[in-house]
Amino acid sequence: MSNPTRLYLSNDTSARAAGAGSLADAWADRPEVQLIRVSSRGAFFLEPMVERDGPDGRIAWFNVTPDDLPSILSGTGGTAVRSIPFLAHQARYTFANFGETEPLALDAYQARGGLAGLEEAFRLAPDAIIEELRISGLRGRGGAAFPVWNKWKVAQQAKAHPKYVVANADEGDAGTYCDRMILEGDPFRLLEGMLICARAIGASRGYVYCRQEYPAAAATLRAAIHKADEAELLDIDGEPFPIEVVDGAGSYVCGEETALLESLEGKRGIVRARPPYPAQAGLYGRPTIVSNVLTFATIPQILSRGGAWHASLGTEHSRGTIALQLGGRVKHPGLVEVPFGLSLRQVLDQFGGGMAPGSRFKAVQVGGPLGSLFPAAGLELPICYDAFAKAGAVLGHGGIVVYDHETDMVDLARHFMAFTADESCGKCTPCRIGSVRGREILERIQAGGGTSEDLALLDDLGETMKLASLCALGGRAPYPVLTAIEHFPVEFRSKLRT
Amino acid sequence: MHEQVQSILRQVRSEPPNVLKTLLAIQEQVGHVPVEAISEIARSLDTTTALVAGVLSYYPDLRVAAPGRHVIRVCMGESCYANGCGRVLRALQDYLRADVGESTPGGKFTLGTMSCAGNCAVSPTVTIDRDLYGRVLPSEVETILKRYR
Ligand SMILES: Cc1cc2nc3c(=O)[nH]c(=O)nc-3n(C[C@H](O)[C@H](O)[C@H](O)COP(=O)(O)O)c2cc1C
Ligand code: SF4
Ligand code: FES
Repeated sequence: MSNPTRLYLSNDTSARAAGAGSLADAWADRPEVQLIRVSSRGAFFLEPMVERDGPDGRIAWFNVTPDDLPSILSGTGGTAVRSIPFLAHQARYTFANFGETEPLALDAYQARGGLAGLEEAFRLAPDAIIEELRISGLRGRGGAAFPVWNKWKVAQQAKAHPKYVVANADEGDAGTYCDRMILEGDPFRLLEGMLICARAIGASRGYVYCRQEYPAAAATLRAAIHKADEAELLDIDGEPFPIEVVDGAGSYVCGEETALLESLEGKRGIVRARPPYPAQAGLYGRPTIVSNVLTFATIPQILSRGGAWHASLGTEHSRGTIALQLGGRVKHPGLVEVPFGLSLRQVLDQFGGGMAPGSRFKAVQVGGPLGSLFPAAGLELPICYDAFAKAGAVLGHGGIVVYDHETDMVDLARHFMAFTADESCGKCTPCRIGSVRGREILERIQAGGGTSEDLALLDDLGETMKLASLCALGGRAPYPVLTAIEHFPVEFRSKLRT
Repeated sequence: MHEQVQSILRQVRSEPPNVLKTLLAIQEQVGHVPVEAISEIARSLDTTTALVAGVLSYYPDLRVAAPGRHVIRVCMGESCYANGCGRVLRALQDYLRADVGESTPGGKFTLGTMSCAGNCAVSPTVTIDRDLYGRVLPSEVETILKRYR
């Protein structure tokens, strides 16, 4: 019999949710098929997507059902992967391996340039690693966008020992999934970034705090750590650098770095007042770098290609690429890695493909549940930190959720305040009490019992929360609510008791 | 149960002691964290019962009562919201005749919510135990639930 045909099928959670799992089951004992379970390219609207090798790169079949096997095997009807517009117009660097490799194949990771950054880090002195990061202009991708080199410098210079490296894999912002994709699809990239950090600051232990909602991510990462250990990679200058995956327990605020550290220590995930910053006194009071998964995953290429390469991408204060995650009512939801600087409209049109069938655009929210809402008139805003800051908005972790004409803005605003009331850690009054009062006011308006004074009260309450909250949960919570009222005032007014 | 908790306490002993990890390990094996076990947990971790109870009450995922045989969670995150998770939740409530946080009579299903499964591009999302369903329509709810015994 002739050799079986190699077919590539993603094993990513979302690809499986779209049907990759049932394809694998249906074809499990077909001798003519050799299934290779790879990561996902992130074009989730095309999943389940099946690929095979062609003379000129991979060929793909979209939204495949088990019955499509004959045409795939005979090679009819496929599309060259490199000509898929959604992918062809992206700048895939951090996500270059996605759809190509098996997540746990360390040799494939290395063959595609993996571990070159770590090798470079071993050639450089710690100061030179940090200097490379300074040149790169890399800012943290978890939300606060703080310069990475600066944090590392503080931790490096701190005298206390041991030092820790913690990857924040809590990915709490609804509408974001790029960390999950990295954990499930290219876990060695995260480990490489953590090892480089450990080498730069002199850390002796690593942790990955992974949200409980990501069981496949945690399992893949644990397997990757095991493989890395077997390959003797978890070792820095002759000293072991063990990395442990720790499960979260469903609290959103535990994504905030100090609450995360409390939770890692096994306590209630309550926010700590800063300073001291974690880089000075973090886990068990020791110098600790807490960075987002995507931040760590971006670092290997900064070392292998050089900081100047990274700085050549993007805009003046937003260097490199941003991983945008499209969701909601767009036609083409999925992962988009592009240099900073495209406008929201460009991203939604070029990559989002416009609205899902039957939907008309109403608003887009950028930056997760604490992000601002934009109406159609706000779509010219360039996607970079400074333009968003000037507009009073945030990029957060790069989530973009599109709402359509059926969305009830009053209910959406209530939904946001209820979320904050549920998730507030309770440490400070503006957030603990303010979010509950805010939710009550919105419930009153929704039930038809609100007055125009309630709208003024919301505004006042929002300003207090913005100014007086200890962390960004309370400080940002008013933004989606107040931008909903600002851009859709008629919807709120029409519900008021006159 | 008492002996099971004790044996878990012996297994998860870590340095320094970690309350959350211990409670998650107990829940993983017992299905929930029995309130009667709090003082024993505190003693074994060399800490106070108040501290253990505080951690137990803080985290949404920690339970003090056994859930139904199958735990259903509807994602209420923004991508799922935009894609109609409210209608999916209502369909589930109607079909199960149970509200969020409740179990069906006989304890087959417990209905709950979550705030994002990272499946936003294939939303709305419903998880049942370890299974994850995407692009769920209200009309599919019944067929999906029939797979569970
Ligand atoms: C309420 C709240 C939730 C947060 N959730 C996350 C999260 O899930 N993941 C994350 O990386 N950062 C989160 N952050 C930001 C972290 O506090 C911290 O800034 C980040 O982990 C630092 O990593 P970076 O420098 O790589 O961005 C959150 C912040 C707040 C205030
Ligand atoms: S703003 Fe909210 S979440 Fe943040 S510290 Fe205050 S109470 Fe806790
Ligand atoms: S918003 Fe529901 S899976 Fe992310």
